[in-house]
Amino acid sequence: MPREIITLQVGQCGNQIGMEFWKQLCLEHGISKEGILEDFATQGGDRKDVFFYQADDQHYIPRALLIDLEPRVINGIQNSDYRNLYNHENIFVSDHGGGAGNNWASGYHQGKGVEEDIMDMIDREADGSDSLEGFVLCHSIAGGTGSGMGSYLLEALNDRYSKKLVQTYSVFPNQMETSDVVVQPYNSLLTLKRLTVNADCVVVLDNTALNRIAVERLHLSNPTFAQTNSLVSTVMSASTTTLRYPGYMNNDLVGLLASLIPTPRCHFLMTGYTPLTVERQANVIRKTTVLDVMRRLLQSKNIMVSSYARTKEASQAKYISILNIIQGEVDPTQVHESLQRIRERKLVNFIEWGPASIQVALSRKSPYVQTAHRVTTLILVFQDQIAYFAAIQNNSQRFGLIITTLSMFLYGSGEWSYASKPHQYPTSLQQMFEPDNDLSEFDESRDIIESLVDEYKACESPDYIKWGMEDPGHSLTAEGNASGTLDLKLEV
Amino acid sequence: MEEEDQRKVTDLVIELVRRLLSQQNPQNASPNSPNFSQSLRYALRILSSRLTPSVSPDADAVAESIKRRLATQGNSSDALTFADLYTKFASKNGPGSVNNKWAVLYLLKIISEDRKNAISGMDSSVFLPNLGINDDEMGNDLRVLNAKENRENAWKNGVLLVSKDPENLREISFREFGNLVEEENEVTEEVLVRDVLYACQGIDGKYVKFDSNLDGYALPDSIKVPRATRTIVRKLCELGWLFRKVKGYISESMDRFPAEDVGTVGQAFCAALQDELSEYYKLLAVLEAQSTNPIPLVSENASSGNYLSLRRLSVWFAEPMVKMRLMAVLVDKCKALRGGAMAGAIHLHAQHGDPLVHDFMRRLLRRVCSPLFEMVRSWVLEGELEDIFAEFFIVGQPVKAESLWREGYRLHAGMLPLFISQSIAQRILRTGKSINFLRVCCDDRGWADAATEAVAAAGVTTRRGGLGYGETDALESLVMEAAKRIDKHLLDVIYKRYKFKEHCLAIKRYLLLGQGDFVQYLMDIVGPELSEPANTISSFKLAGLLESAIRSSNAQYDDPDILDRLRVKMMPHGTGDRGWDVFSLEYDARVPLDTVFTESVMTRYLRIFNFLWKLRRVEHALIGAWKTMKPNCLTSHVYTKLQHAVKLQLLSTLRRCQVLWDEMNHFVTNLQYYIMFEVLEVSWSNFSNEMEVAKDLDDLLAAHEKYLYSIVEKSLLGERSQTLYKSLFVLFDLILQFRSHADRFYEGIHELQARTAESSLSSQDKNKSRQTKDKSSEPGSWIREGRKALTQRASEFLQNMGQELDALATEYKSLLEGFLTELPVQQHVDLKFLLFRLDFTEFYTRQHATM
Repeated sequence: MPREIITLQVGQCGNQIGMEFWKQLCLEHGISKEGILEDFATQGGDRKDVFFYQADDQHYIPRALLIDLEPRVINGIQNSDYRNLYNHENIFVSDHGGGAGNNWASGYHQGKGVEEDIMDMIDREADGSDSLEGFVLCHSIAGGTGSGMGSYLLEALNDRYSKKLVQTYSVFPNQMETSDVVVQPYNSLLTLKRLTVNADCVVVLDNTALNRIAVERLHLSNPTFAQTNSLVSTVMSASTTTLRYPGYMNNDLVGLLASLIPTPRCHFLMTGYTPLTVERQANVIRKTTVLDVMRRLLQSKNIMVSSYARTKEASQAKYISILNIIQGEVDPTQVHESLQRIRERKLVNFIEWGPASIQVALSRKSPYVQTAHRVTTLILVFQDQIAYFAAIQNNSQRFGLIITTLSMFLYGSGEWSYASKPHQYPTSLQQMFEPDNDLSEFDESRDIIESLVDEYKACESPDYIKWGMEDPGHSLTAEGNASGTLDLKLEV
Repeated sequence: MEEEDQRKVTDLVIELVRRLLSQQNPQNASPNSPNFSQSLRYALRILSSRLTPSVSPDADAVAESIKRRLATQGNSSDALTFADLYTKFASKNGPGSVNNKWAVLYLLKIISEDRKNAISGMDSSVFLPNLGINDDEMGNDLRVLNAKENRENAWKNGVLLVSKDPENLREISFREFGNLVEEENEVTEEVLVRDVLYACQGIDGKYVKFDSNLDGYALPDSIKVPRATRTIVRKLCELGWLFRKVKGYISESMDRFPAEDVGTVGQAFCAALQDELSEYYKLLAVLEAQSTNPIPLVSENASSGNYLSLRRLSVWFAEPMVKMRLMAVLVDKCKALRGGAMAGAIHLHAQHGDPLVHDFMRRLLRRVCSPLFEMVRSWVLEGELEDIFAEFFIVGQPVKAESLWREGYRLHAGMLPLFISQSIAQRILRTGKSINFLRVCCDDRGWADAATEAVAAAGVTTRRGGLGYGETDALESLVMEAAKRIDKHLLDVIYKRYKFKEHCLAIKRYLLLGQGDFVQYLMDIVGPELSEPANTISSFKLAGLLESAIRSSNAQYDDPDILDRLRVKMMPHGTGDRGWDVFSLEYDARVPLDTVFTESVMTRYLRIFNFLWKLRRVEHALIGAWKTMKPNCLTSHVYTKLQHAVKLQLLSTLRRCQVLWDEMNHFVTNLQYYIMFEVLEVSWSNFSNEMEVAKDLDDLLAAHEKYLYSIVEKSLLGERSQTLYKSLFVLFDLILQFRSHADRFYEGIHELQARTAESSLSSQDKNKSRQTKDKSSEPGSWIREGRKALTQRASEFLQNMGQELDALATEYKSLLEGFLTELPVQQHVDLKFLLFRLDFTEFYTRQHATM
């Protein structure tokens, strides 16, 4: 009963980061590109069966489903060194191979069409595990397949596996570049609704911030997708170390997420990681004491969500919860000292309506990665530093604002009013809803996002407990007006 | 014939001169050297001269003076030997015997005195002052001088030269005096002397008898003797009294020996005493022989100086008296003592300034201590406790293997002689114990090599009796070397062969729940079972579940030997106990590790386990609660069509539920973090450091004890934090209550949701098939009562739940408040860390301030 986690990689972006993730896992567990356990990796004390299972010939197969509506990325994977790693039955490429054309509705509807095939695959994987813990979905929210089909899958999973966890690693679009995809904001909006309603936990990977980090922190002038994706895979693998290297605490995903997410609706997590590197990059050796890494992680420049999305300074932001996962050899007494320092210097603000603290999890570092690197290159000296760091933070204010800013950026301040009018939606999307001409979907999504933003804002105030109570007319009448009936679509 | 004799004499003279010269300077000794021929000539001249020493030719007198001299030099045994030899020499008469006996004696005496003088540094360069080689005149003078001295010596030595008085006047007066004396005394002195000698052997004499009233030998008052005689007899007889005492002790001990526990040290003591006594016997024998000689009157010629008077006896007895007194004192002291205690008591007396006493005691102690040292040796090197009579300062008692180390052997302070210090004794104890431990518990033979090495390093012979009293340094170095090696070997065995560290780690991982995944599975599969009443649970089934938890977690890769030792233990349970209350894990340490993990240690581990297990269970329950209220569970389904009021109520109840959950979770998680970082990990890292530096098993035990103690104390399990612990458990129970509340609450909500969905469905269908709906719906169901009733029910339900939650929250808050205020008061434990974590954002401080 290893508390298996099944990974669903949907769409181009999802498959790309997924593949990086598996590369990283293979490296850490000492599994070769063929899925064979390397000789040096037999005595790890690690749990491979959370993410892998063993085939009859003992080779390790990821519990992963590769789903896309166009064959390009998946073909790429199948032609790569790792082609034998995956179970070929778990690869789904749409028959026509035309993709979703960056259209959420297209992805969603195609998802509906192939539901049976995909659910079969999921069922098969689920049956193959003793105690399925949940699903991890990798996708982007801006494109067509990842957002549309991903949304559909979220709903389907929620329906069929309502007791299981659903965690997503969602890549948010880069706001610094004007997108060539007109419908990107709408795709995001519609996906966000599912992420709010149907997912248990969303790890936000902001492309803007990833790019910024690549440029500023790693000094890459023109970061490639592969490079930003490797950042993502680092975060993903780091956030799952406690599951893969069992210790005293945080041995399952539920436990990890439960203490991070006390408020069910506010389940958007931010991440930060230090020291950061990408492959083949000469890294400056930095001092990495526990305090040092902890402090660095609290700095906004290391957070993988763009500062663009923040109106307030990080120092004023309030955290609901913080979890630091420290990898490597750490003297446990240092942890307390660091926490004390952080409190003394008031480096971090927490919510006021309840108790909160910085949780620190210690985890082992994969022994194989270090040796592998030492053999191949001398450059990656960072491995010699004591701590390898990942933090997942659930920041009320930041998140609220991310989404607000996101919406503002997308629609402008006044645009919400007419965005709700049907004729203003892009025709391509409209067409997909044409059959029953029901555009209430947009309104609903918008309402949900707005109410989420409100809740995040409320989390900042000490009166969160009473939020939504004393002024019922405000939020509820608005909803009532929107739908015009007593049928309130929105519920907490 | 005469010529031959002549030649013999010459040869002898040559030989004598050569010997004497060679002592002075070996080169001179060669017969060709001029020195030699000169000396020889000189010697011959002396021999042929007619000069005679001006000492009366009385062999007995000379012999007596030699004897005196020896005796005064403290060699009473030498004097005795001499006396013995002299009697033999004197008795040799007839052909072939030496005629001029006194001359021979005189020569020997002169030579020995010369030597002594030379040695004592009067003229150290000249060994033969009589042989003034270079200056004849000088030599002559010297010789004359010497002769004079000798004569004076002779006078001093009490040889009286009584010249014959032709008138015999003096003789007559002396005789008269003698008669007078005889008249005055009922008993002659000879008889008294003999009696005293008897008394000194513990035998009643003719007159001198043991008087039990006086507790001593004395002359009965009825016998008329001068007061002085009486006193001197009493004085002399003290020796007899002492002898009686010593002898009595010896014979008593010897008689008692095999049956009762005199002990080997006692035996040795007796034997040593016996030896001393036999010296004493020798003296007595000689004296007795002499006592047969009549005491000459002053007037009589001292032709036989070899007689004994009481006065002479007192001289003879001077030294034996001292020794005998010492022995008697020792006997008195040691009567009740045995073994090491006896040696210690004797040792106390050995600290004496008088070299005579000191030497005597040393000699005695060497004998007495030899059995003791032999015991130490065989104990330290072979681990054998050869101590049938319980004399050793280490006492063994038969115990089970697991408590061999702790209870098997101990120091017997009473038997520890003072000359072995406490620390050495401890070391001795531990070394032998280690050997025994290795032999009995570890089934190891390698210690013998270590012992051999130790012997080699200490440079002490391994044979019996190799060590003795006074060689404390040697003993110490032997013990040190042996201890060092044996301890090292023992630790090696414990670490390498018995994998001590691995087992500690295993205990940490399984009993202290360090192996998270294993604990989780165990909790998952054992949990439902444990909710049953304790008496219905089969521990066999639990063992099976444990097995499967091992197999499905990473524990499966562990050493099978370790997994083998992991067991389920059901504690004794009363009625009403749930499985949770009695379930625990147990680790079978087995010999020899059960020396560290004794039963009481395991009980403490068990308590820690129970605490951690409970904590884990609470955490598990909270996470279970979270799962029911997890983000996508509710929001996706609750599309309720409720009235505002109800909806608000729902919202607020949900919120309160979540906030309460958050608080509880915060508490439990941080308690967990505290336990992990501040308690388990820190203690463990200290422990492993101490394990590294531990030099012997005692260190290791102490380190482990410290480790366990710090865990117990810091996890609030200690004696002094009982109240805290209790309130903690109340908190835990409250959290478990909350869980069931939350479950019911969410169940209710889901039902409400379902009903609402149904009712809205049914209201839509109402027109179509009203009748069928009515039929199908059960009486009392929410739908039948219609929408209004539904709302009513929902509102009631929510209100109830809300109230219950509020009650829970209030109780929880006050309890937690109590717990938190108690925390800083607990000064003995380092609980500030826990408080720090719990109140990281000062949420509770603020709350407290506003209250």
